[in-house]
Amino acid sequence: MFKKKRALQSKSEIVLRNMVVTFLVAYMAIFMVIPIVIAFAGSFHNWNPLNGTYKWIGLDNYIRMFQYPTFWVSMGNTVIFCIVVVAFRVVLGLGLAYAISSRMVKSKTFFRTIFYMPTVTPLVAVAYVWKIMYNPQFGLIDNLFGLNINWLYSSKFALPAVMAMTIWKDFGYAVILFMSGLLSIPGDYYEASGIDGANAWQTFRYITLPLLRPTMILVVITSLISYLQAYVPVMVMTKGGPGTSTFLSSYLVYDQAFVKYNFGYASAIAFFILIFTAVLTLLSFKLIGEKS
Amino acid sequence: MKKHILKYSLHIVLALVGIITILPFAWMILSSFKSNEEISALHQTLLPKTFTLENYVSLQSNFDFLRYFANSVLIAVIVTVLVVYISCLCGFVLSKYKFRGRNLIFGFVMMTMMVPWSVTIISRYTMFMKAGLQNTYLSLILPVMVSGFGIFMMKQDISALPDELLEAARIDGANEFRIFHQIVLPMSKNSISAIAIFQFLWVWEDYLWPYLMIDSDKKQLLAVGLTMFNGRYATDYGGLFAATAISIVPVIVVYTIFQKRFVAGVAAGSVKG
Repeated sequence: MFKKKRALQSKSEIVLRNMVVTFLVAYMAIFMVIPIVIAFAGSFHNWNPLNGTYKWIGLDNYIRMFQYPTFWVSMGNTVIFCIVVVAFRVVLGLGLAYAISSRMVKSKTFFRTIFYMPTVTPLVAVAYVWKIMYNPQFGLIDNLFGLNINWLYSSKFALPAVMAMTIWKDFGYAVILFMSGLLSIPGDYYEASGIDGANAWQTFRYITLPLLRPTMILVVITSLISYLQAYVPVMVMTKGGPGTSTFLSSYLVYDQAFVKYNFGYASAIAFFILIFTAVLTLLSFKLIGEKS
Repeated sequence: MKKHILKYSLHIVLALVGIITILPFAWMILSSFKSNEEISALHQTLLPKTFTLENYVSLQSNFDFLRYFANSVLIAVIVTVLVVYISCLCGFVLSKYKFRGRNLIFGFVMMTMMVPWSVTIISRYTMFMKAGLQNTYLSLILPVMVSGFGIFMMKQDISALPDELLEAARIDGANEFRIFHQIVLPMSKNSISAIAIFQFLWVWEDYLWPYLMIDSDKKQLLAVGLTMFNGRYATDYGGLFAATAISIVPVIVVYTIFQKRFVAGVAAGSVKG
């Protein structure tokens, strides 16, 4: 209890501490705080670097954003994208982790290694491979299943096609997290539930699932944060099209900022995404935290 | 009996998912050895009918893809070394030294991990252009050399080192820099390799920032090179297969060799978190 306080402090300790603190504070100021402030100010300006415009227009960017149909379409797409991909990630991740962890499965490392493989591969390259896979003439998918669907050029199938690629790429991460979550549950719990005569489903529902809550929170929140920022698959595979059917909100920022050079407008959308991310993160903390 | 059925169906499901996971990679690699005629032929086969290296040869002679590859390796190595060293140093000070404002700084670093790229990238772009950093590798290194994820991992890891160990070294007269380099760094090998792996991959696949900053072909990185290739030779599917294979296969090879470290790193980050 009474830990002896070490008499502060050797000279080198003070030097090192000051070095690190100064560096971190300066770095965070220059590369995080100042950019955020500039972007926030910029969101109230008509800001176009190509013709050098930087003119105060008050809330116009925000008003224009809320009146812009593509903004709402992209928000809707983003919500669908997040719900579907996160749901698949959790269900597939948990299901496969549970299966691999089963005593009946021997080659655990083998399956784990394979499932995690897409996660470590570079997204731009993978998105190109999938783009060719969706080709209606010689793509793998139509040929394999005898279909004739022009996936990426159909407003009905393009978004699901991008989601399928994302699910394929990312489910392995959830498998690994849930496997390590399952490993950290002490065996006594299962023994106790066995003695109490619980069946496999009851054990899963009332023992495993509640104890996996921290892992669940981690998977859901890191997934949400990263999917709200997703733009690469859209940029490579569909460019938002056909029409606006695959616009995601972060792709909209990319499109407005670096294709159309509406910096002020893009900043307004970016701040909306920031607030949306924060709210969703808090909500999922609450929701998952209260279950059980 | 019931147990046998369950066991087999479990294995079948796992094997099926495994095949779906591997099939795109296999298809990409096999197709990269097909000629363009064969790729777009009406009748498709998985294996190439005539095996050819033409895609790789013409990719290199028309496009110098290996240069992008080498550039990416260079930048990824520099950034990874910097991130690992800075994360360890910050993690050491933030976990083992007690001082006012420590939690505030750490909390702030954590918060920055939540800020989407879209919020900062526009103003960073303007700042870097004004500072004349366009088309320099410094512009690719500066904004990523401090990693919230890395500092978080290292703080967790180093705080588990026993204080007595550091105290003993201090009594022996070692100064803090020596303690850091000779005790803390070597004892954090596992977390270091986890951070190194992730950081390397993030640089390897980063697209937008190098696309904005680098405007000479000779300096460009791999991910942007891929999109440039696709823009210029949109119908050269064989070339695109070869280019994607060059960007993906080395990662898979390294991953397969070190897969234990990869997995341990991800898992460690989650459990301690």
